[in-house]
Amino acid sequence: MAGICRTRLAEERKQWRKDHPFGFYAKPAKAADGSMNLMEWEVGIPGKDNTSWAGGVYKLTMSFPEDYPSKPPKCKFTPPLFHPNVYPSGTVCLSILDEEKSWKPAITIKQILLGIQDLLNDPNVNDPAQSDAYTMFKNDKVAYDRRIRAQARENIPK
Amino acid sequence: MSDEEYMSDDYEYFDNDEDDMDVTQGDDGTSHSEDEAMDDAYPFNDDIKVSASKGKRKSYDIDYECLDTAELQATIKREADHITSIFGVDFDTAVSLLRHLGWNKERLIEKYMDSPNAVNSAAGIESPSAASPRSPGPIRSLTLSAHNPAPARRSSRRLGLSPTTTSAPQLPSNTCPICCDDEPEQMKGLSCDHTFCGNCWAYYITGKLRDEGESVIRCMASDCSLVAPETFIKEAVSPENYERYKELVVRDYVTRSASLKFCPAPSCVYAVSCSSAASKSALTTIVPTVTCQAGHAFCFGCSIESDHRPVICAVAKLWLKKCQDDSETANWIKSNTKECTKCQSTIEKNGGCKYVCLANAVFHTLISLPSHMTCKKCKHEFCWVCMGPWVDHGTAWYSCNRYDDKAGVDARDAQSRSRASLERYLHYYNRWANHEQSAKLTVDLYAKTEKKMEEMQITSDLTWIEVQFAKKAVDEVSRCRMTLKWTYAMAYYLAKGNQKELFEDNQRDLEKAVEDLSELLETAIEPENIPTLRQKMTDKTVYVQKRNEILLEDTAKGFSEGRWHWNVEVEGFDNDGDLESY
Repeated sequence: MAGICRTRLAEERKQWRKDHPFGFYAKPAKAADGSMNLMEWEVGIPGKDNTSWAGGVYKLTMSFPEDYPSKPPKCKFTPPLFHPNVYPSGTVCLSILDEEKSWKPAITIKQILLGIQDLLNDPNVNDPAQSDAYTMFKNDKVAYDRRIRAQARENIPK
Repeated sequence: MSDEEYMSDDYEYFDNDEDDMDVTQGDDGTSHSEDEAMDDAYPFNDDIKVSASKGKRKSYDIDYECLDTAELQATIKREADHITSIFGVDFDTAVSLLRHLGWNKERLIEKYMDSPNAVNSAAGIESPSAASPRSPGPIRSLTLSAHNPAPARRSSRRLGLSPTTTSAPQLPSNTCPICCDDEPEQMKGLSCDHTFCGNCWAYYITGKLRDEGESVIRCMASDCSLVAPETFIKEAVSPENYERYKELVVRDYVTRSASLKFCPAPSCVYAVSCSSAASKSALTTIVPTVTCQAGHAFCFGCSIESDHRPVICAVAKLWLKKCQDDSETANWIKSNTKECTKCQSTIEKNGGCKYVCLANAVFHTLISLPSHMTCKKCKHEFCWVCMGPWVDHGTAWYSCNRYDDKAGVDARDAQSRSRASLERYLHYYNRWANHEQSAKLTVDLYAKTEKKMEEMQITSDLTWIEVQFAKKAVDEVSRCRMTLKWTYAMAYYLAKGNQKELFEDNQRDLEKAVEDLSELLETAIEPENIPTLRQKMTDKTVYVQKRNEILLEDTAKGFSEGRWHWNVEVEGFDNDGDLESY
């Protein structure tokens, strides 16, 4: 089944180039010798307008396992993001990215990225992944908001 | 179907059920009476019921049934067939419905009567939006049984509306959206709109079954929660993975049914059905020690130990917790230390004029007089002997004129109480631990006894079969030590009174008999003594066995009569004022 992974990713790439949501980018990483590595994608997710996340484009790497699409890709913000559902390592904690929860092989890269974008301004307090952002979100919404806005400014694309 | 009709159907079903049972017994080629005779001859070889209501039945025996995988599958089939006959759904749907509601047939019937569509969509049988009133699942006709591989699936597939609104890649309709193969051999799907190629289905389902041990397999489309029925899985995966699927369904059935349990022995395939021990309240009156067909004994109610008779699970658990946790450390502190009467810091008097203030763990040397204490923390000065303030003592401790001061009396009382409680605990614990230790040494005892048996064969004219009496004695000793061990846990928690005394009398008789028998086992073999020894040991073994039965029987009866009262609160028992302050 090893071929499936690359066939599917090539198809995902084709579909993405044909059409993708505004403000996003997603492309396979370039290896040192200039060849394309389909198993590792570099992705940018824009914060939604009219939220504290607006303006920023948040960088993320998606690593696809060999048994993708049976298993979900691993999504990791680089650098790690200040967000209740992002682990200190940057890995995103989201039910559709968990094979034992809601991951389905039919979920596309576009759906994943839109899902993560939704998560930015709508964190899931029942499933915290880092304590800093979680405690601040629970205890001091004003300070949390200020911190998110600052983070958005740091992530304005050059 | 009217209620009346349903009721009569139901009744009929149970009738059939009984008939079925008779048929099964008949299949073994044994009539009922023969069966009983077999039971008597081979008490461990019967596969239907270990203890039916016969004269020889002991009150500590419980009814249970040992089932293997095929029998469990047959039970599931019976349950599903029942649902099929009531609601006219096909077999796969019936299984899905049952599994969704934790195999609780009554609840399913109730809920399904109430709102079939809600149950169907929650169980993943139809998409929430596919609502044709009271239609039992969108797939298949109404009369299918397990053996018909659902020919109607394809034709009705378009019934379910896809809930997916998000953008799946705009692929040509004959391309599999998972692997993007544009020439797949076969595209298939559940009753929803989502189709994928056979390879992707196989790979996905196999992964779920093998890696996750999950038997509820949903459609691969992102928002679709339809569950794949058994026939679909059978077609999609290899036969061995289909076996795995069936195994997982059985496992789900057993783990979620209160009256079923798998034998906990490693890689044992049998499950035990014991409806009399299914509820928590039942466990306050019985100790459900069961044995699976492969001979592994275990307690149906808990995982503490395979056989903790005579004491019930809750009390056995209490006892082990008491032994394990540091409650006794706390008792030691109470017995060997005192609290500063002013600030309540704990102080251990450590020799003549040294004391340790445990509260802040500072070792402190101080003061000339042995009983004149000064609390390191609050500088309160008091008398170690009477706990009264030192100010009233003048300068000599023996002129302790505050001896009957109320505060001092209370403090001393509390201390002696906790000391007595510690001693009491140790009394029971030592005996408990002693029997446990002896039980651990059984292996050695078996080895020693076997040597002796060989010796006896050489020195006398007894055959190997005739010297088995020694092994039987060891069997009995180890079994009774197990009982004795747990009687100490029981006695520790029994409230004072006549009942406890009777219990302890039984315990004493058994213990005495067991020790006598153990002693006999230890005696050296002399050729001229062998016949007497054999006679003595056989007699004693029978006696010990009898005593063990008496104790177990009386205790079991006591539980069913509600005769036992505890000195602590035990789950499921009324606290009827027997609590003592231990």
